[in-house]
Amino acid sequence: MLSGFTASPMAVALSPYSLGDSISVEFTIGDGCTAVLTTQSSTKVYKSLGSKCSEQVLEARIGSGALFVVIPDPVTCFSTARYSQKQVFRVVSDSSLVIVDWFTSGRHESGEKWDFELYRSSNCIFAEGNQPVFLDTVLLEQSSPVDIAERMHEYQVIAMVLIYGPKLKHVQDQVQENVKRLMSQQLQIPSTRLGCCAKTNSDNCLVRPAFIASCSAFGPKGMGVVVRVASTTTEAVYRFLHHQLAGMEPLLGVSPYS
Amino acid sequence: MPLPASPIFTIHAHFSKKKKKKKKISQKIDSLEGGLLVCFVMDQDLVETEKRRKREINIDPGLQWSQWQLLDSILPTGGFAHSFGLEAAIQARLVSGPDDLQNFVIHLLENTGSLLLPFVYSATMNPTLDNCQKLDRILDATLSNEVGRKASVSQGSSLMRVAASVFTELPSLKSMRDVCIGSGVVSFHHAPVFGIICGLLGMDSGTSQRAYIFMTMRDVISAATRLNLVGPLGAAVLQHRVASVAESMVKKWMDRSVEDACQTAPLLDTIQGCHTYLFSRLFCS
Repeated sequence: MLSGFTASPMAVALSPYSLGDSISVEFTIGDGCTAVLTTQSSTKVYKSLGSKCSEQVLEARIGSGALFVVIPDPVTCFSTARYSQKQVFRVVSDSSLVIVDWFTSGRHESGEKWDFELYRSSNCIFAEGNQPVFLDTVLLEQSSPVDIAERMHEYQVIAMVLIYGPKLKHVQDQVQENVKRLMSQQLQIPSTRLGCCAKTNSDNCLVRPAFIASCSAFGPKGMGVVVRVASTTTEAVYRFLHHQLAGMEPLLGVSPYS
Repeated sequence: MPLPASPIFTIHAHFSKKKKKKKKISQKIDSLEGGLLVCFVMDQDLVETEKRRKREINIDPGLQWSQWQLLDSILPTGGFAHSFGLEAAIQARLVSGPDDLQNFVIHLLENTGSLLLPFVYSATMNPTLDNCQKLDRILDATLSNEVGRKASVSQGSSLMRVAASVFTELPSLKSMRDVCIGSGVVSFHHAPVFGIICGLLGMDSGTSQRAYIFMTMRDVISAATRLNLVGPLGAAVLQHRVASVAESMVKKWMDRSVEDACQTAPLLDTIQGCHTYLFSRLFCS
């Protein structure tokens, strides 16, 4: 049996996006190979002029027994920026994938919170015969009647982690267990009645969790797991990703987000 | 003996409250026998409103009865077992009072519009077995949130079962259901099933999409009353207050293709996914 193992870190998105940049990338991960895609730092999207939108398209074919790992830093859209990305992954029955897709509210330390015009991110996984396994598009548009900032409450970072395929069963099981344990401690029926809660802000019942995560199985025979995260800080998400993906070290030779 | 001089009666009828300038029609009717001169001044708007109302009533009253039954909360489809993530949002302290509730409802309706209306639209326009299976497959991959996915299948299966029994004038519903159950590949997701029933009943796609948003609003507000966030009267007031926003959501997100389905409330999706972590819960989702 021929098997190949290649871990090739590549850097993409070296320069910030501005004024309608468009980047398109295609990958083919051969049978039995492993590839890791990462970034040097967070992807920054500058303010747009008019209705021009910065775009990134990634298409990847992952072969039999292969593993493709996409572990970038978050996308940060500056005030009035417009950004759209589409990632399509074509897999076979024993391909494996880890995809992290996340973004922040902007330069939130400088007070720029959810101030961009448009953010759209689409992630699709197709099996053989173009069968849809996972289809997800997040669209945040400032022009909608509901303010983006209002929709997000005080959370500054949104993240999604896809863990798919037979090579990653141990990672999936561990992540599901970890997230369940983490969240069960955070969620509780408000202990006081509605009237009392409204009066005092310092009551524990009004303290929202700084970090929310949930885990769902998807795909045929629950082959995949998707983790969704909302956090008030970027650091907390980095720590979470490092902890949850630590189980990948034997496969990659390095622990992601260390 | 000569007739006495005829008195002139003028009747002004002002029923319309519209601000636009009223066109007055005056008609003098000369009666040859009584000699009474009567002037009618009718509001042009009232005449037009009456004509439109009669036209609408004349269009298929049978469909109206079916429509109302389909949207009536008494239809046993199990919609009341679901809170659309509201219960989890309360336990995460994202929603703690009536103001938070109103915002939650609006965010939910926008997300329903952006994510699910394309499926209702496509199913209403093309209520065939092939399209049903195709939409079901796509929606199953789109609803990656396990809690939301199971809720959709649970409501959709119930609705299909009830509709096949109730609307016996649509034998294709029962045959579609039998074929899909037999094949085992179709999950009966709620949005396409609802769209198919509307399409087969003869409802137009605008009405079916509006109805889907209405049902979501109805059910989440009902869940809010059972979670003690708002009383029954407050719920009714909220529902009417949000109606105009709901209509703008329908107008914004209707008639789109399934390829364009997207979610616009990632925080809501995250929190709804936490529903199974709740130690104590009233709802299934």
